Amino acid sequence: MKIPISHKATRRNQRWFFAVMIVLFVPCAFYLKLSYSQFADGVGRIPDIVKQFLQISPEDLPVLLRELLTSLIIAFLSVVISVFLSLLLSFLIADTTAPNRWIAKGLRLIVVIVRTIPTTIWVLLAVASMGFGSMAGVLGLLFPTTSFLIKSFTAQIDEAGKEPVEAIRALGGTWWHVVFNGAIPTLYTTFLALIAFNFEITVAETVILGMVGAGGIGVLLQEYISYYEFAPLLMGILVVFLTLFALELMTNRIRKRLARGAR
Amino acid sequence: MSSFLLEIKGLTKKYSAGTIALSGIDLQVKSKEFIAVIGPSGAGKSTLLRCINRLVEPSSGSIEFAGDRVDQANARELRRVRSQIGMIFQHYNLVNRLSVLENVLHGRLGYMSSIAGMFSRYSEEDKKKAIALLRKVGLENEMYKRADELSGGQKQRVGVCRALAQQPRLILADEPIASLDPKSSAVVMDAIHRNCAEQGIACLVNLHQVDVAKRYASRIIGIKNGKMVFDGPPEALTDHHAALIYEGKESQMYQQPVGEEPQDRRYA
Repeated sequence: MKIPISHKATRRNQRWFFAVMIVLFVPCAFYLKLSYSQFADGVGRIPDIVKQFLQISPEDLPVLLRELLTSLIIAFLSVVISVFLSLLLSFLIADTTAPNRWIAKGLRLIVVIVRTIPTTIWVLLAVASMGFGSMAGVLGLLFPTTSFLIKSFTAQIDEAGKEPVEAIRALGGTWWHVVFNGAIPTLYTTFLALIAFNFEITVAETVILGMVGAGGIGVLLQEYISYYEFAPLLMGILVVFLTLFALELMTNRIRKRLARGAR
Repeated sequence: MSSFLLEIKGLTKKYSAGTIALSGIDLQVKSKEFIAVIGPSGAGKSTLLRCINRLVEPSSGSIEFAGDRVDQANARELRRVRSQIGMIFQHYNLVNRLSVLENVLHGRLGYMSSIAGMFSRYSEEDKKKAIALLRKVGLENEMYKRADELSGGQKQRVGVCRALAQQPRLILADEPIASLDPKSSAVVMDAIHRNCAEQGIACLVNLHQVDVAKRYASRIIGIKNGKMVFDGPPEALTDHHAALIYEGKESQMYQQPVGEEPQDRRYA
């Protein structure tokens, strides 16, 4: 008889996990009516679609760039407004600086609720009430962006410890002194890095959200898809890709530099 | 109104977890007294100091500072009381990203409005005084350095200057030398002692080390398990008393507590 070598409970868990996965897969596949013939047909069409895609046309480039700028501005405005809102609210929520425990709890609950509702839903709600366009984009993004920043800011405020805060409190400083003279200088670079990161996500989001009517380049992409205009669509995708890539490189650099300066 | 600067009666602190940190402390402090509070770690020394300026809320008892009932003070009154009480911390509690001079000027915040403080609009007079304080502790060349560029001993001297910048009537020093090597400890204790004597500031300083307490204090208070077990001049504190206070924790009497320097403390 062979000598077993593995941890018994772990092995049992793994077996159960795979068994359940396989058993569930079969009814799920039937439920969605996945069929092999549909798949084969689709694969057959791929070369054709690729050919259409490859006819990249720079014809719409000026429009695409103008709408890209709109997207960037939507992202920028919503991030700036969110930074102001979340800066104030974070210090009301974070354990070390909250002036009132119950207000903090209430606000924390609201943030959790806002966060569990997906960004797309917020934008759809904004579109429904404001109509199509950039206004809906900025308003819709405000909720998820603010709640993201509040969550990150409060975590950092609490992680920074209560020491500088305690010192300002002990010498008779007001809540505003505690926040502006104690906490914000301590957390300044961390906050900047978080804001840069948040801006990057938000730009990516505005592209997608344009497709549901929030203005910007997403609106154009959505139109191209609807009318099977693959040539300008590829140009659009390329423009978006290059923008996001450049943005990521830039924010990474900013964050690295901030991290280095932090020590 | 009493003739004491600080008068504590029946001060008790129960933490919500049920531990009793202080039970029935009575203490009178006259102005210009330099009092060392000794006792093993966990005896309640830190809680006692923090109850005086209500960084920790007392459970019961009364605290009167310069004629004001601290325990009954509302937010505004509490700020006024706190602005007259300087505090020095074991971990210095400086704002690391700000300059040394800015950290010292924080001592003035208690006398400033929210707006003036937020935008750091300190008066030129305050700045001159802050620089003079730094010069006195030998840090005039470091005043534009960031606080986290300093060594532990230098940081604590900044902490001392911040407390002195308040022009307080009382200084509370919570283990000011517990994170420092013996040489820096002497420099810091000298700075606290000299300035308090010169400016007539009363001082309550928590210490582990009995020998340091005896060297500087005009009066020693021993605390054990939240109760005051000794109160008298340093000459009266015999080895017998000290042994009683530190019973079971004798190793803390003279030794520096090891490993308390917070090396990985990050404010990033």
